Amino acid sequence: MGAIKRLFSPILLLGTLLFAANAAVAQVYQGTQLVQADTVANVNAVVPGEPFLVGVRLKMAPGWHTYWRYPGDAGIPTEIKWQLPPSWRAGEIQWPVPLKLTEPGDIQIYGYQNEVLLIQQITPPKNISEAAANLSAKINWLVCERICIPGDATVNLTLPVASTNTAANSDLFARFQKQLPRSPGANFSASWKKEASGLLLTVSGPDLSRFPSVEFFPSPKESVAVGHPRLETRAWDQFTFRIPLDPSNRTIDSLPGLIVFGNSPNDPDRSAWDVSAGPQITSGDNRSSLREVMRFLIFGFIGGFILNLMPCVLPVISLKIFGFVQQAGQSRARIFRSGLAFIGGIFVWFIGLALVLVALKSAGREITWAFQFTNAYFVLLMSTVVLVFALNLFGLFEISLPQWLSRGAIASGSGHGDVGSFFQGVFATILATPCTAPFLGTALGFAFTQSATIILLMFAAIAAGMSAPYFLLSAQPAWLKFLPRPGTWMVRVKELMGFLLIATLLFLLSVLGAQRGVSALIWASGFLLVVSIVCWIKGQFLVPSATFRARVIAFVVMIALLLSGGGYFIGEKFQGASAVATGNALSNGWEKFTPDRLAAEIRQGHPVFIDFTAEWCITCKFNESTVLETDAVRGAFSQRQIVKLKADWTNGDPAITKMLKQFGRPGVPLYVLYAGGSAQPYVFPELLTKNIVLEKLETIIHTMAYQP
Amino acid sequence: MKIRSIALAFFSLAATALYAAESPAVGSTAPDFSLPDVNGKTQSLSQYKGKYVVLEWFNPECPFVKKHYGSGNMQKLQGEYTGKGVVWLTIDSNAAGAEGNLSPEQAQKVMKDWNTKQTALLLDPDGKAGRSYNARNTPHMFVINPDGKVIYEGAIDSKATPNPNDIASSTNYVKVALDESMSGKPVSNANTRPYGCSVKYK
Repeated sequence: MGAIKRLFSPILLLGTLLFAANAAVAQVYQGTQLVQADTVANVNAVVPGEPFLVGVRLKMAPGWHTYWRYPGDAGIPTEIKWQLPPSWRAGEIQWPVPLKLTEPGDIQIYGYQNEVLLIQQITPPKNISEAAANLSAKINWLVCERICIPGDATVNLTLPVASTNTAANSDLFARFQKQLPRSPGANFSASWKKEASGLLLTVSGPDLSRFPSVEFFPSPKESVAVGHPRLETRAWDQFTFRIPLDPSNRTIDSLPGLIVFGNSPNDPDRSAWDVSAGPQITSGDNRSSLREVMRFLIFGFIGGFILNLMPCVLPVISLKIFGFVQQAGQSRARIFRSGLAFIGGIFVWFIGLALVLVALKSAGREITWAFQFTNAYFVLLMSTVVLVFALNLFGLFEISLPQWLSRGAIASGSGHGDVGSFFQGVFATILATPCTAPFLGTALGFAFTQSATIILLMFAAIAAGMSAPYFLLSAQPAWLKFLPRPGTWMVRVKELMGFLLIATLLFLLSVLGAQRGVSALIWASGFLLVVSIVCWIKGQFLVPSATFRARVIAFVVMIALLLSGGGYFIGEKFQGASAVATGNALSNGWEKFTPDRLAAEIRQGHPVFIDFTAEWCITCKFNESTVLETDAVRGAFSQRQIVKLKADWTNGDPAITKMLKQFGRPGVPLYVLYAGGSAQPYVFPELLTKNIVLEKLETIIHTMAYQP
Repeated sequence: MKIRSIALAFFSLAATALYAAESPAVGSTAPDFSLPDVNGKTQSLSQYKGKYVVLEWFNPECPFVKKHYGSGNMQKLQGEYTGKGVVWLTIDSNAAGAEGNLSPEQAQKVMKDWNTKQTALLLDPDGKAGRSYNARNTPHMFVINPDGKVIYEGAIDSKATPNPNDIASSTNYVKVALDESMSGKPVSNANTRPYGCSVKYK
């Protein structure tokens, strides 16, 4: 008997192994099958280096439920431990929106009935020597009806390794991916308030107003006990939830969780927004001491000064220097006045911008520095302005001010030089905004959490910093004497400056192309051509020497050209050209940043580096080419298995805007490193060097693929 | 004056309704109850004033309860602290007909079979005591000090699993709370998230 058993056991074992692949495992309790577990992939083969999805499917007997990641008042969440070959990585479980079930005694639990698919991303390594990959997962669950029974199973999945693959189980994955919580829309906002007995969560989003049922499902970290969230008030699109907390948890000032909405509670078509996407960064006390304010105003001043040296202001600097050269021979008072006018232009722009920001901030919009450059129409407008200035420098036409303005200017004895200086100041600062110099970033980040008064003060400090050199030069014309005397060379310099502006135009157009695609770029260029013709007509026919009739005709033709050209190229063609998804093609191991992705990688303890960048950000491009994309840095990243995420803000993605704000930064560039585990994110300076990055990476302990 | 007192009464009523589903806060007075034990003798919390009292919500069918009794962990804890003069009251609040509900005879049998060491096992099939404590789980633990104040509420230990092998590596919160309080120290971790099966209320 024993001999027979010994003889058969290898065969039995073989049979078990063969059947284990993709076979379902059932949990049977007193003759009833409670849970059936199996695992599926969304591909029919593994392609080395290409992430794919696997799902653990639990089918529950009618009336029985398993639990969500936060089980509620009772129960425990389902656990999945993947056993993967070395250097394979498994992502975080993507939990579908659970049901909220209430048992007698007001016991609320969150879980799943009938069927659930718990999806995880699997990232295979770039090189796989085996012909097939065997993935197995150990699952632990608690299934309850009136009673609770723990269950476990080990499920296996065998997939061939191939160079290409096709989708599999698409319907199943689609059905459950539809039930995953999403990131809230752009118009969504959430705020937390601490009360004596717990927390108040106020959310608002216009999309929520049409749903009869809006609930908050908390998802506190383990050990934190929370009471039942209750909807306290509902006013159109604004909802306030009260979440009681025990006294020992009163230090908590926000909770991760979902806003779940549908036509009724547990509506099969319900949806949810994850209001905890991304790391939890608690908003601190917004009041600040006078000393702190002073320090940041000084930073603002220094930052404003440095703006003069940033790469994207360089072309404008030449314009300004040219202005001073032109003035060099004139009277002291006149130079000083002209300098003040230029400074006035700088101040008016910054204060105007501050007022707009204060207004928008109070309207609750996500506004950050350089936000203008995320808008394609703003970039188009800038391109037009730069082109017109360039054509002016080339001598295609002269700028003559309107009669009433020049008359007023002459009357005040200043001539239109001052008015010109004023607009030069405005123009210089418009171009300066997308460059967040290192100090400026910090100072502005601080300012954005502050009151309107402090924002205005902050911008005034930046304006003062930027205008300081011009103030000194115009007040001390002695220093201007060092500048060369005017002559015919000035015309050449002027024309040369025109080419610098054309270079700036190329940069702006490259931004447009990245934002809207090639066809939009062509249509925009068409419009710019029309603008050039209009400028030429102005230079040729709309001149004081022409007859009144000729001037009227020229003016009418110019207006007609602008309107028809603008209407056709911009109103019709440009607007119709579809936006491209993202400007930066992802390569060299960079992956697209999403808050969910980040949260998942962090929870798994993977080190993560995020590059917040944009097509129009020259500082970002500079850092990328001189530091991030060098062999040394690239090697260090891959050696330490750091997940590289690229957050492309070219089109002003609201999720990225939100992240930037969490770091107190109003714009790009921003470089952040999560060292893995529970380590606080490390924020790099805005101007990177290879040494800064490599030294920081040294501190990361080389961790092997981590299995949750 | 009258309007004010009516408003006040109304407000406190509303407040009670609002927070009815919360467990008595740590630091507050533990609600009194009177329940029959397995011998039909009535036991109330107030009779133990001046002593430390542990309340343990119980369901012999629940895998999480079985984890702590099957391994002998709960009995050991009960024996250790009743030996130090602590009163240990195990309460079954499961409704008649529900899983874990016990008749006095069944309860006696469970105590004998499992060799339990508590002061008394109390039967609360109406769920009155359970609801006044908002006991949600089995096991759900409360520790009450000699002044009648709740000094601990929550889980029995730090590992929320039904697996007995996890007991050795987990922190027993009830033990820590009792030890700290009995040596005159404040309870460091007075509130945790309880884990287990839900109490099967009527």
